[in-house]
Parts: sequence; C-alpha cells; structure tokens
Amino acid sequence: MQKYEKLEKIGEGTYGTVFKAKNRETLEIVALKRVRLDDDDEGVPSSALREICLLKELKHKNVVRLHDVVHSERKLTLVFEYCDQDLKKYFDACNGEIDPDVVKSFMCQLLRGIAFCHSNNVLHRDLKPQNLLINKNGELKLADFGLARAFGFPVRFYSAEVVTLWYRPPDVLFGAKMYSTSIDMWSAGCIFAELANAGRPLFPGNDDDDQLKRIFKLLGTPTEDTWPGLTQLPNYRPFPMYHVSTTWQQVVPKLNSKGRDLLQKLLVCYPPDRMSAEDSLQHPYFVDVNPSVK
Amino acid sequence: MAGNFWSSSHYQQWVLDRQDLYRERHNDLTILSEDEYQKIMMLFANVIQALGEQLKFRQQVIATATIYFKRFYARNSLKCIDPWLMAPTCAFLASKVEEYGVISNSRLMTTCQNIVKNKFSHAFNGEYPYRTQHVLECEFYLLEMMDCCLIMYHPYRPLVKFCADLNAEADLLPVAWKMINDCLRTDAPLLYPPYLIALSCLHMASILKQKDIKGWCADLNVDNDKCMEITRTMVSLYELWKTYDEKKEIQAILAKMPRPSPSRPPSEATNLQDNNSQQQQQNQQQQMSSGVS
Repeated sequence: MQKYEKLEKIGEGTYGTVFKAKNRETLEIVALKRVRLDDDDEGVPSSALREICLLKELKHKNVVRLHDVVHSERKLTLVFEYCDQDLKKYFDACNGEIDPDVVKSFMCQLLRGIAFCHSNNVLHRDLKPQNLLINKNGELKLADFGLARAFGFPVRFYSAEVVTLWYRPPDVLFGAKMYSTSIDMWSAGCIFAELANAGRPLFPGNDDDDQLKRIFKLLGTPTEDTWPGLTQLPNYRPFPMYHVSTTWQQVVPKLNSKGRDLLQKLLVCYPPDRMSAEDSLQHPYFVDVNPSVK
Repeated sequence: MAGNFWSSSHYQQWVLDRQDLYRERHNDLTILSEDEYQKIMMLFANVIQALGEQLKFRQQVIATATIYFKRFYARNSLKCIDPWLMAPTCAFLASKVEEYGVISNSRLMTTCQNIVKNKFSHAFNGEYPYRTQHVLECEFYLLEMMDCCLIMYHPYRPLVKFCADLNAEADLLPVAWKMINDCLRTDAPLLYPPYLIALSCLHMASILKQKDIKGWCADLNVDNDKCMEITRTMVSLYELWKTYDEKKEIQAILAKMPRPSPSRPPSEATNLQDNNSQQQQQNQQQQMSSGVS
C-alpha cells in the first residue's frame, strides 16, 4: 500500500471508507476503497466480492474502472479510477440550472453504461445519483456495484431488498422477485427526470406506501388490465384509483418533447413494457447528442 | 454471468497453456508421479463435491469451487496451503460469488468436519484441524492468487444450447452433463474454453449412445485438435478409474504429498512469499530426520 499516498477521505461506501489517493510512482489520482472485514463470519463481504468480480469483467468508459485490488496486512483495498464528484454533488453545486445539452449527454452516457452492463448480463440494481460518478471531462460512469448481480441463471429468486427507495420500481415495491433489466430502466427514468429538473428528485417517497402513491398519482394506478399479474405480486395491496392530473410538461418543464417521450417510455409500471437501454439509445431524443459523447 | 466469454477474465487470464501448467507443477512432480498428483486432485474434487452436495449447492457452484481449487494449485505447490483447508475455502468463496446465499462459516466448518469424518476417513485420520479463522485467512490468499478473477464460465450452458439445437435433450444431454462433471477431475477446465469441453463431451456421449451427429459437428468451425486432446484426457480418466480404488490407495499417496511445514502454525504456513524459506526448512528437516535414522 506504500504505492499510494492517501490525500483525503471522500466518503463511506456500502462496505468501507473511500479515500482519494495518489499513486507515488505514476502520480495518478485514484480512489481507494478499503474493504471492512468486521463481520468475522462472512470473511470478505459478498457485496465487495460482487463488485470486484463484476468490475473485473466490465471494462467500458461509462463504467468506473477497477485498476487493482491490493492485499496487505490482511486488508483488501480496491483501487478505482478517480472521478471528481458524483451526480448528487453535481446537483448540489449546479444552482438549479443544468444545460439541456448536459442533461442529454449525461443521460446518453448513463444509458450506454447500463446497456453495456445488460449486454454482459449484469444488473446494477442500485442506480441513483450518488452512484453515478462524473469526472472533470463531463464523463459519467456507473459505480458502486455492491448490489449488482450477474443474471441469466433461470429459476432463481432475487432479493426484493434492492434499490434505494426513490429509484425503486413499482414491481419491486410490490415485492416482485423475478425482476430483470427493467429494474435499472426504472431507476434510469427517475434519474432522467431529476437531471431535467436540475436535481429535484421525481418521487421522493418516505416509505413504500408513500413511494407507490407518488408514482401512481403521476402515472395512474395500474390494474390487472394494464399490468397482468399485478394482484399476484407478493406484497400487492390495492391503492386508490388516482386521477392523473399532472401533465408531463408540468413534471419536466425544461425537457423538450422528444425527451418527455423517452421519459414516458422508461417510467412504465408494467415491467415488460419499459424501454430497454439499447432501444432508448436509438430514441430520436439523442439524434443531436453532443459529438464528444458520441 | 453469461456475458462475453471472449473478453472475460476466464478466457484472457485463465485458459492456461499445458507447458506452463507442467512447469508450475514441476516441483510437486519431483515428489509425486503424474498419476498420484491427479489422484490427489481427484480426491479434493470429491471432497468439494461432497461438501457442496451436503450444503445443497447447485452443481454450478460446486464446479466453480472445484476450479478455484485447481487455479490455486496451478500456480502453487501443494505444500503452500494444505488442500484440506483450501477445499472448504473454495466452497465458501464460490457460494458467495455465485450468490448462492451466503452460508455461515460455522455451518461450513461443521459440515466439513462431518464429511471428513464420515466420508473421507480413508483419507484423513483424526480430528479435522481447521477453524473459521483459517478459512477466512485462506480466502485472502486464494483471492490474491486468482487475481480476483472470480467469474467462471462452465460447459453446462453451452451444452444445453447444443443439445437444444440437436434435439438431443433427452438422450445426449444427461450423459454429456455427467461427463462434464467428471471432467472436473482432470486438468481440462484449466486448459480449454468451456464450449470446447461441452462439445467434446457431447461428441463422446453421441458415440456412447450411437447417435450420429457428425453432420452437425462438421458444420462447426472449431479446433478439432483441441477437442481430440480433451477426449484423450477424458478417456485416460476413465481408464484410471477402472483400476483405481481411492479408499485403498489414497492414504499412501497423501503420505508422500508435500505439506506445509508442521512446525509452523497454519496461519503462518500460508505465507506464499515465504515459499523458499519454507522449502529450505522442510529440506533441512528431512535431511535431519534421515540423518537420525
């Protein structure tokens, strides 16, 4: 570990403290994530293992790069490429104003990162602004794969305890355990709206019920007709039939009509109808995306 | 993860060359014959299988654990870490990576003790010595040695696809599947990509079941030499099994197996950097003991 000089603490990750550090030889700035081994029974936490083994396989410019894993003194340190900030901090610093081209560029990069993960059969499962890193070149990268998992093995039930509440899709809120790539697409939709509104979260619910109410007030309460199998979900409970009174123009006033169209295709309650990352990237909204992103 | 095999760490870092494998193994092979070495590997594949079955792992998790074990000893002598400790460690790590749902380490150790006592008493005398803290420490060395390449591709998936394509789910699939399990008792998973192993096993199954798939095979653009090598490896495994009785022979082989120096506690004996000094120490001990007798 002498190779790295710790500069400052950046934050607390899922399973350990994150530091900014400098490689003494190359002078490269990196992020060090020290893995806590406090649970004596589990050994290396499975969230850390998942992040290590998935990032070992996923190399893409919109996925944070894991440079190295350092073993020392019976501690494990993950060495990541350094990014200046995450999207949450970017929101805090933007003074309620994000250029529409930047919104488009970030959204495009987010979808590319997701599309790449999905094409490698990896679900992120915890997309939110805090987990999207942004470097000074305006590049956006998916990070924190502690909850991610490889999918594609049939007949497996996934945990229902994934995704931070505000970005959690209605199917997962109803306890669905057979979700797929659509789980990340809902989160992407929520983040898209938040980007367009310069950091105002779309569905800032307080608990599961409040979260579902907020979703249904905007999209209308789903029924067996619009969502076959809805009432069979493990935690299904009936909600009032909300009358949709808000227009998308009111929801995301600064987003153009193509953007609003894409947003509506992502925020679909019935999971199979949610647009995929691959298809989203073909949406007309991105026709004139900044060439530097292309 | 069924993503892209060609860009995976499995393909890029862990399809080894036979020469390299033998070079790394050279030291152990000055003490053990190739046959004996394979029999030791077979024993521990059996231990991992028994452990996995007892813990109700899916076969995929068992296969992953078995290959972790092979990867470790592909780069290290058997004396670096006692394989009796490495076997449960591989099962532990694989269960976490494959998201089997983490098994508690204490349950793992209890199961391991029981299995060693009830199923492998022919190979292990006395009380199973390792505890949780040894496994956790060993996990570290295993991770480091594998360079954290934990995602594994197995021949099962391609096999299922091939069989679907051939309409052979009923007749060839179960036979070839079993052969893939057997294949875990050889070096093949270290040397060949999984789809070739799947193909070779499928081909062998077709011969066994007298089903003609030549036309289908001819349309494939694969390395036939490699398929032949895999087939030969499997045939020699089956030859070996014909005459081999693990219960009778393994103890004598294990007695020869290079071991971590007993004068050091396991927590220190696992220090890989210390290999050379350990070896010297062991040599000295051997010289001393032979001098006395």
